[in-house]
Amino acid sequence: MTSSSSPARKMLSKIACNRLQKELAEWQASPPGGFNYKVSDNLQRWIIEVSGAEGTLYAGEKYQLQVDFPEHYPMEAPQVIFMNPAPMHPHIYSNGHICLDILYDSWSPAMTVSSVCISILSMLSSSPAKERPADNDRYVRNCRNGRSPKETRWWFHDDKV
Amino acid sequence: MSPAAADGAAASKRQAELLKQEGNSFFKKDRISAAIDAYTGAIALCQNVAVYWTNRALCYKRRNEWAKVEEDCRMAIHYDSHSVKAHYMLGLALLNKQELTEGIKELEKSLELGRGAHPASYMVEEIWQELSKAKYIEWEGLSKMRSSQLHKLKATCKEALRNYNSLDNPAVDVSEEHLNELDDVFRKAAKADTPTEVPDHLCCKITLDVFRDPVITPSGITYERAVILDHLNRVGKFDPVTREALEPHQLIPNLAVKEAVDVFLSEHGWAYKIR
Repeated sequence: MTSSSSPARKMLSKIACNRLQKELAEWQASPPGGFNYKVSDNLQRWIIEVSGAEGTLYAGEKYQLQVDFPEHYPMEAPQVIFMNPAPMHPHIYSNGHICLDILYDSWSPAMTVSSVCISILSMLSSSPAKERPADNDRYVRNCRNGRSPKETRWWFHDDKV
Repeated sequence: MSPAAADGAAASKRQAELLKQEGNSFFKKDRISAAIDAYTGAIALCQNVAVYWTNRALCYKRRNEWAKVEEDCRMAIHYDSHSVKAHYMLGLALLNKQELTEGIKELEKSLELGRGAHPASYMVEEIWQELSKAKYIEWEGLSKMRSSQLHKLKATCKEALRNYNSLDNPAVDVSEEHLNELDDVFRKAAKADTPTEVPDHLCCKITLDVFRDPVITPSGITYERAVILDHLNRVGKFDPVTREALEPHQLIPNLAVKEAVDVFLSEHGWAYKIR
């Protein structure tokens, strides 16, 4: 699958729309370090560029995150995936899916795009090796029908990385 | 009252209730005239039931017959001064005829009555939206007036400063420093009317918007009532910030924050702006 495929999406609710406008204004006033929001008029899909932190395995590298917001955001987590090519990381699959609990079971509506970005960067920064998850091939094969990572039943066996 | 009369009254009550239900189902089917007739029948039988009046007012509102909305709402309030809907629609009717101050007063009253955990609280957001619009218009008018007053006063002060200096020492021009100080004083005076951001502590961590009906959790975090209830319902029984276990009955109105919001909004009307 390609990272640009997306599930059929419903329009944002009024609460979601209002909140995203505020998040975007806040982001533009003080963006989190290492991230760059690609300007577009689509409030429901943000494209964000991540720069690998200095002194880590990803220093000097740039990747793109695609963030899609569901109708009832922030009561539901956004769908966050890396666009092709996804960074080599033990928790990031080659199709861009990210194994990170706050994006799924541990989501809380008090989190924001900004706080999610910071978690992802910290996950990248603490990586011990540039390698794919052990089950990468099997997982990616199972996702071929364009399945969203939010439909995966993740188990988070390792929270050190 | 004789037993026969009491029986008659009970029968009228039952009949009126039936008519109301009929009216409700007509209204749902968008048959507004038929609904009005049904509610009118109910009112004729039992005029002291506020709901019959507010239901008929809702029909008139649908048809934009605002004079009739006002009339029915006033009757509803006469029989039930705590009717959220009656104050709400009366407010809208008054705003419709450009009575800004009176309209705002009614909307504020209905918001006050609508806050809290009772069934009417579902209307809080709707009332808030209408109230915000009206308040913003009111602020625009008042702030324009204040700003033009300050502008005139500033010009007068500058003039006076120049005259004073030239009396004292005709050879020296009024100092740049004094004029700058004057500018500074006037900038400060206009500060409350200058739109910026609402402080974070007056905004819900979930909506990121200023509080309408703030409630506090046992963890000490304050949220917008409708939204935290939605979270408990939809996401899980935990405090979104601290992740401590949380049940709906543990939510307590945060009156201090509500007062702080009221004070802030009364001084910074621009914050009513809805994006």
